[in-house]
Amino acid sequence: MTTNQIGCEDCAFHNVNSLKKLGVDTSDTDYVIALAGNPNTGKSTVFNALTGLRQHTGNWPGKTVVRAEGGYLYDDKKYKLIDLPGTYSLLSTSQDEEVARNFILFGKPDVTIIVVDASRLERNLNLVLQILEITGKAVLCLNLIDEAERHNIKIDERELAKNLGIPVVATIARTQQGIPELLSTIRDVAIGKIICKPRKVKSLSASLEESVNQLAKKIEEQFPGLPNSRWVAFRLLEGDERITEAVLNNELKELV
Amino acid sequence: MNKNTDNSIVQLASELRWKLGDNFHDKLTEGIYTDASLIAAQAVEEHGKKRNYTLDSKIDKIVTSKKWGFPIMIGILSVILWITITGANYPSGLLFNLLIDTLYPALKSLAAKIGMVWWLDGLLIDGIYLAVAWVVSVMLPPMAIFFPLFTLLEDFGYLPRVAFNMDALFKKTGAHGKQALTMSMGWGCNAAGVIATRIIDSPRERLIAIITNNFSLCNGRWPTQILIATIFIGALVPASLSGAVASLSVIGIALLGVAFMFLTSWMLSTTVLKGEVSTFTLELPPYRPPRFWQTIYTSVIDRTLIVLWRAVVFAAPAGAVIWLVSNVHIGNLTLADQLIGWLNPFGVFVGLNGIILLAYIIAIPANEIIIPTILMLTVANLNLVGVGSGNGVMFELDSNLDTANVLMAGGWTVLTGVNLMLFSLLHNPCSTTIYTIYQETKSIKWTTVASILPIIMGFVVTFLVTQFWHIFIG
Amino acid sequence: MSQSLINLTAFLGIALTLWLVAKALSSKNVLQSKLKKQKTLTEDILKQLYHVEQSRRTATLDNLAGALQLRRRNILPVVEAMTTTGLINLNDTEIELTEEGKQYALKIVRIHRLWEKYLAERTGHKPSEWHHLAEKMEHKLSEEETGKLDSFLGNPMFDPHGDPIPSELGEVNTVKWTPLPSYPVNKPGKIAHIEDEPGVVYRQILNKRIFVGSHIKLIKANNNEVAFICEGEKHRFSSIVAANIHIEPLSEDEAFEENAIRLSALKAGEIAEVIGLSKECRGANRRRLLDLGILPGTQVEVDLESPMRDPVAYKVRNTSIALRNSLADLILINKN
Repeated sequence: MTTNQIGCEDCAFHNVNSLKKLGVDTSDTDYVIALAGNPNTGKSTVFNALTGLRQHTGNWPGKTVVRAEGGYLYDDKKYKLIDLPGTYSLLSTSQDEEVARNFILFGKPDVTIIVVDASRLERNLNLVLQILEITGKAVLCLNLIDEAERHNIKIDERELAKNLGIPVVATIARTQQGIPELLSTIRDVAIGKIICKPRKVKSLSASLEESVNQLAKKIEEQFPGLPNSRWVAFRLLEGDERITEAVLNNELKELV
Repeated sequence: MNKNTDNSIVQLASELRWKLGDNFHDKLTEGIYTDASLIAAQAVEEHGKKRNYTLDSKIDKIVTSKKWGFPIMIGILSVILWITITGANYPSGLLFNLLIDTLYPALKSLAAKIGMVWWLDGLLIDGIYLAVAWVVSVMLPPMAIFFPLFTLLEDFGYLPRVAFNMDALFKKTGAHGKQALTMSMGWGCNAAGVIATRIIDSPRERLIAIITNNFSLCNGRWPTQILIATIFIGALVPASLSGAVASLSVIGIALLGVAFMFLTSWMLSTTVLKGEVSTFTLELPPYRPPRFWQTIYTSVIDRTLIVLWRAVVFAAPAGAVIWLVSNVHIGNLTLADQLIGWLNPFGVFVGLNGIILLAYIIAIPANEIIIPTILMLTVANLNLVGVGSGNGVMFELDSNLDTANVLMAGGWTVLTGVNLMLFSLLHNPCSTTIYTIYQETKSIKWTTVASILPIIMGFVVTFLVTQFWHIFIG
Repeated sequence: MSQSLINLTAFLGIALTLWLVAKALSSKNVLQSKLKKQKTLTEDILKQLYHVEQSRRTATLDNLAGALQLRRRNILPVVEAMTTTGLINLNDTEIELTEEGKQYALKIVRIHRLWEKYLAERTGHKPSEWHHLAEKMEHKLSEEETGKLDSFLGNPMFDPHGDPIPSELGEVNTVKWTPLPSYPVNKPGKIAHIEDEPGVVYRQILNKRIFVGSHIKLIKANNNEVAFICEGEKHRFSSIVAANIHIEPLSEDEAFEENAIRLSALKAGEIAEVIGLSKECRGANRRRLLDLGILPGTQVEVDLESPMRDPVAYKVRNTSIALRNSLADLILINKN
């Protein structure tokens, strides 16, 4: 993770056309922020803590099938926050996962906040690593650190941030602890003050890695500058129809 | 979007896929998790050997135990339903007092003062306003009590344990353990129950839960059941027992609904839904203390008001229709009388009557206004003098005895009462629920199945009961 | 009262009629045009002849009619027509496929096996239903649709029973299997194929939770009975049933999982390590288990048993996940 000041202060990166198709009105918004995470990580509590909107916070998997939207003002900028369905993965094809996947990929949010449960970090990282294959503009919200402490778990945030290549903010969303830091970090990523270097999955088997690279190279030839060619390759190798369609009708060009 | 003629990427992908074999997803997930463990191992420091799950596992040992699991569950649910039904009476009365006993006459006299044409006054105030006011005053309080209580349990983490306990039963009929929860939610409101099926992540089981939710006797139907049971079934036994017998018969109807829910789930899963994808994994999250006031506030906003708003949107036009059928004349008869005449032969055939059928058609937005509509239609149809407030104006009577008299005058017998209770359980969902089913499934086919199936069952059951009644009782 | 009896009788009559009509509609032969019926029968005969030739037997009109459960006189006109169109040769009483007939038969076999693969991966149909549904579908798909299905499924090589799927050009992989009763005793192997016909025998095998891909070791075999160990459980089958299970030796990089048992057999308080998911765990269920982190090497223990002991919650990566026993059967573990 490097910090520099070149990022333009006012330009938004999100994809207005796709967002419109996904049903998000961006007319009165400077930045679009997506909120992703596993079920039962307190994702909705983070949403409430950020927006103040009293959206329901249940600890049930798959609670938010229809996206909840909220907004907040920070440093004179308007942020729109989209609460994606809680999922374990983006690789399967359940309805929830497709909603979340399509939003992060095609909506190109300015920042994606990934909420994880600090006491179940390893399992949560499965989703985190998948998201980082799609987008590098992400912030890790290490939530429920009070529960982790009760279980005698301590997490080295700096080590984690170094390994993932994105900023990490520890929070207890229930009590608003860490939320101010989260807000400023989101801003820094949104305006480009923090440039992330997202970790890509390294431990693939040799034959898999080779096939993925071969396909990703071919994808980059046709869509130069595509930031997530490896992830598109993953999906094509699995026969994902939606992504195949996006390749065939050149929709991927919009993601460059 | 311009079509890409070059599909060499897709071609290469299928070639590589062939080479990699069929366990791509396995290999990819293994790779990701290997990374995840490496990263976690570097960042996580665990002090002490054991994690501290003592309280959680103590609670879990009790609420999922063979001995206590089911009693605790039934106890909690009964308490919630009891609080809802009895607790709603008082605020319901207040609202009724305000909206119907006070505001309604005020509006009427205001309309008279400004010289509003009679039909406009009737359509707007007697029709639309009254229907909306009725739905609000009867529907709002029970939902505003039931949903927050349910949501508190949900936030605490108890509900996944209920699904865990109940799954073995539901699995036998091809359903999901979480259907126990959407079913219970349906006892509050079917529309909310249908929305709640989102927690079921398996496509087949979710459809089953949506289609069968209507067999949960909803808030709008409990009062109808209680009223009819008191009048017709309570009257069969000595006065000292009548209350208990009436209550038991209502519980019996609710349990019959559960039986139909299981039967229909089984039928669907073994026939039309046989091939739908079915999965089951259920995470049991740690218990977390709910945030009391926030939960109350959000569940009122999220659930109660959304459902109430939908109901109001449907009740308003229905109010207009109810008023119109009673006031538009074709020849000498009102439209309502015409329709009742047509529907009556079939109604009697299945042990109901034309008025009941018409009421279920025009009062489709909410089960809450079925009884007022039946009373109004009966009085208008028979030209009873001294009861009711005029053509197309719904009303309710203060005493059960008066209600009984009107219904008896309409030709009701114990058989009609029993059949109405059955039909109230087994008929099409209210229009709010039908709309919600469409919203959730986005399928005309499944919405139709969910709407038609229960009414066919209702007609078959009332028909059979009627025939056997005639054979064995007379 | 008498009116009610009449009503009830009429009701029963109507219900019965509807039932019969529905039943007739769902069975395959009613409502089909004569031409379609002839096509179906032609294809069934071709497929049957292909199977007969594969097992190096010879077909006659009589045993063909017997296998298709039809009368001789019913298939005779079709067989004659097939001779004139050059799909089969009739020498004396013996019937043989021509090259053209064989290619046609392979197309049907290809659709059948692809469709079984589709049913296994993308639907919730039970294994015992696959064959019957594929029997219907094999007469319906066009060549183009078959091609699409093939690429949609990622060009699979084997169907869920382990049978090779013929390619578009009619090439079939040859397989080397040994029927279970003749497999050497005490030599580890794995199940390569389970024959799905006759259905009664197939269901009997399925009921014992024996699946393609499972490792197996024969303990004893004589003329009447075989005994073997499969995934931690000991089974005894009659030789006739066991002959429908085919075994191949383990490849060099596969180690025999001597101590493999099913996760459903794990008891409270025991800790185990996941060996892997059975091949029988497919589609959405398999992906979900993987997503939850149930992978080779993962530690599992029983967290909580529900009152009826189905489902059971397991502690996986510090999370409590409830699984039904039928799914836990498909997760192989090693108790240490």
